[in-house]
Amino acid sequence: MTTAPAPRRTTVGRTAARVRTTLRQPTVVLGAGTLLVLAVLVVAPLAGLVNTTLMDGNREAWTDVFASPMSENLLWRPMSNSVLLGTATAVGSTVIGGFLAWVVVMTRIPGRGVLGLLATIPFALPSFALALAWESVFRNDLIGGSTGILVNLGIGVPDWLAWGPVPIAATLTAHYFSLSFMLIAAALASVNGDLMEAAELTGASTLRVARDIALPVVAPAVVSGALLAFAEGVSNFVTPALLGLPVRFHTLSTRLYGAISTGDVSRGYVLSIVLILVAAMIMYASTRITGGRRSFATITGKGGRRRGIELGVWGRPVAAAAWVLVTFTTVVPGLVLVLSSLTRRTNDFASGLTLHYWIGDSDPALAQGQRGILNNPQILQATWNTVLLGVTVAVCAGVLGLLVSYVITRSNGPRWLPGTLGVVSFVPFLIPGIALGAAFIAQFGAPIGPLPSLYGTFAILVLAGVAATIPFSVRSGTSALSQVSRDVEESAVLAGAGLFRRIGAVIAPLTARGLFTGGVLVFVQMVRDLSLVVLLATPAMPVLAVLTYQYSSENFTQSANAVTVVIAVISVSATILARRFEGAAQPWNSNS
Amino acid sequence: MRSGASSASLAITDLRKDFGGTAAVDGISIDVPAGSFLVLLGPSGCGKTTTLRMLAGLENPTGGEIRFGDRVIARGDGTELVAPAEREAGLVFQSYALWPHKTVRQNIEWPLTVAKWSRADRRSRGDEVLSLLAIAELADRYPGEISGGQQQRVAIARMIAPQPKVLLFDEPLSNLDARLRVETRGELMRVHRSTGATSVYVTHDQVEAMTMATHIALMKDGRIEQFGTPRELLESPRTAFAATFIGTPPANIVECRVHDGRLRAYGVDCGAAPSTSVAADGDADGVVRAMYRASSLAASEEATGPGVVAATFADQVPMADRWVIGVDLPDGTRAHVSRDTPVGLLPGDGLGVRLPSEPDAYFDAAGERLDTGENR
Repeated sequence: MTTAPAPRRTTVGRTAARVRTTLRQPTVVLGAGTLLVLAVLVVAPLAGLVNTTLMDGNREAWTDVFASPMSENLLWRPMSNSVLLGTATAVGSTVIGGFLAWVVVMTRIPGRGVLGLLATIPFALPSFALALAWESVFRNDLIGGSTGILVNLGIGVPDWLAWGPVPIAATLTAHYFSLSFMLIAAALASVNGDLMEAAELTGASTLRVARDIALPVVAPAVVSGALLAFAEGVSNFVTPALLGLPVRFHTLSTRLYGAISTGDVSRGYVLSIVLILVAAMIMYASTRITGGRRSFATITGKGGRRRGIELGVWGRPVAAAAWVLVTFTTVVPGLVLVLSSLTRRTNDFASGLTLHYWIGDSDPALAQGQRGILNNPQILQATWNTVLLGVTVAVCAGVLGLLVSYVITRSNGPRWLPGTLGVVSFVPFLIPGIALGAAFIAQFGAPIGPLPSLYGTFAILVLAGVAATIPFSVRSGTSALSQVSRDVEESAVLAGAGLFRRIGAVIAPLTARGLFTGGVLVFVQMVRDLSLVVLLATPAMPVLAVLTYQYSSENFTQSANAVTVVIAVISVSATILARRFEGAAQPWNSNS
Repeated sequence: MRSGASSASLAITDLRKDFGGTAAVDGISIDVPAGSFLVLLGPSGCGKTTTLRMLAGLENPTGGEIRFGDRVIARGDGTELVAPAEREAGLVFQSYALWPHKTVRQNIEWPLTVAKWSRADRRSRGDEVLSLLAIAELADRYPGEISGGQQQRVAIARMIAPQPKVLLFDEPLSNLDARLRVETRGELMRVHRSTGATSVYVTHDQVEAMTMATHIALMKDGRIEQFGTPRELLESPRTAFAATFIGTPPANIVECRVHDGRLRAYGVDCGAAPSTSVAADGDADGVVRAMYRASSLAASEEATGPGVVAATFADQVPMADRWVIGVDLPDGTRAHVSRDTPVGLLPGDGLGVRLPSEPDAYFDAAGERLDTGENR
């Protein structure tokens, strides 16, 4: 057997040849391209944020925030408020979410399927829906303006119930318990029914079985959910803005917004950095606990293998508690929002109901002449912008997410490429929306060389939206790609199809269903989000969520509530549509 | 880039593939002429599939060289890597890897579209391979609607449509039931002959290898144990592993100790120790592995006597007009004895295995053949 003669090459020649063959691998080129895009979308804004605060003339912002007479008001008290809210949200969400999860998964209470479905709805709603509903019910006359339903009925509402930490914590909990519920219920459902029954056969009491068998399985989900709720509680903007600002109860997020919108831009950036660090640490810890695998999928009724615990005499009280909790966080706020949008005088049912705020023409006596929302050109413009924004971000993030997840899962090139892509595409998940918005202003709000400032344009909304939703679309792309076996793609490689041809002719048709579902959920996120866009939207470029916030600040309660109802309807129905579509048949799949 | 010949010889030189710290393929060299049917045979994890994928271009070697004809296809140092589609090779996957969203005809014709064949040529070639594989009536069905055997034919048709010079098969028969496997073996050989290409076939089933191959490379742990024609591997195994892997039933290996120039196993004298075993160590108490073919052993009712090893009956199988008796030797080793008629015993009954005066071959403790100077 003769040995092949070695090619006569120098070391340099050999390295050059090796580089050449590596570069010819299309996944490497694709990986480099997507890394560049991600660098612009994620790394550049963050770098710009830090960089701006370190420039000459801005550096005093650091001392202003950390070590000046203003620090107490700018940083320390808001930060402790944020932490307080985070803790309250975490505790509340875990307790309520855990309780409901246990009821739905582990007991035999009738109607628990409906309970489970209702418990997932709050997370699909915009977070300000609950704050607005609270305001509609509990607002008192502390700061003037219209009052809530209770006061109008003659029932006095104490200040601590109408404004400040209590209502904020309550509404945040009512929103995020839904997340804890989904995580804990999924964990509980994964506890093998046989294991529990085998334990019960040994004579162990129900409580003992729960503690020794179910709890260890559930503990990571509980902790992870609590940490997520804490991080969200710390970074949420709109609820403290609506319910805390009027009594000067500040959190980091509201201070940040206040600083930037009044022109103290550098201080706002410094606060953003602080907020990012706090939230990022918590979110990262939460990811590590679940090993990075976390599913926001709702319970689809899988299970039923367990008989369920018979509660006996406790059945009634437990069921009552569960139904009360669920009704007061989904049905009642929805009703409040709809009904209060129909009252003639804000929150005063005695003044009669009207459809004016929905479809009425301009009437100077009502809401300073604002037209009904379905007649209002600014709202119609905002609706168009919002829907267009949602669709554009869904498409762009979907494509980018698919390309990135393709490189991550299929790359044959240098080992650091998929790893780096994975990390960079995950980072936005750790960043609170409002801070990300601030970062985009820092980087793109001023002209860069020949490129003009993007402030106030549709483009900056799209860029920020894609950056914020990239973690989600990469995960959705990865899971869709995992359905396509490597073989099927490799046979296309052997046929000579280049990378983009393969993606178009083989990968895209086979992942279309998963990508569409992911795209719809990205659309929903963009439609209902406020924190990201509140700093980026302008009167010339309005979006629905920001309009709602403005209406609410100006006390146009009916209009605000009406628009919120519209957003909620879009958001919830799109989510249901996405889940329904997951079950649609494909013509080549004879098994579906 | 199409050359005129219909097939190419294959030359693999010192081929290596490392994954992290382990070597899946540890330096193999194979040379076969154009038109051969080379089988890569071996147990799971021996590196045969990795080698096949390197031939296809789905993996890149970390060392060594591959040539089709006199064209260098891949080099381990990265200085030459021909793209898969330009190698003029086709691959049938173990899972067939048909595109589920394309019909059978589209599955066959799409690679031709990518290769820029004209529509007329595509159509006529598609019709040609559809009738060659007898699946013309399935042309407009989807892969999910046809049986496993039919899917396999589609996979083969898809592979040969672009007229490749090298055909690669990755355990294509493993998903078929036993009878279909035998039928399809014949089909594959017919396809191989009619295309005139060089085929490389990966399998762990030695019957397939012995039936279809012109050359067999028996692999273990990333290396080639033995390379040769089926007859060479069967009649002259070079290692104990080869002896027990090839053949139906496989040969028996009995571990003997050397005592004063004679071999002993299970308290029975097995014959003279080969001279090389003693000379090698200078230590006369070494281990020699004696190979006995199933036809060299005999079953006896008496479990004792000169040259008879006590054993326990396990099972018996009718095979090719004879009967193969499976017995367990005293230390639990399974041995096979082939005879004309069955024995009337139940599992667990005792019987004797009569050894011939000399084994058919000798191997040392490491499994390497000890050459006694005779050819058996």
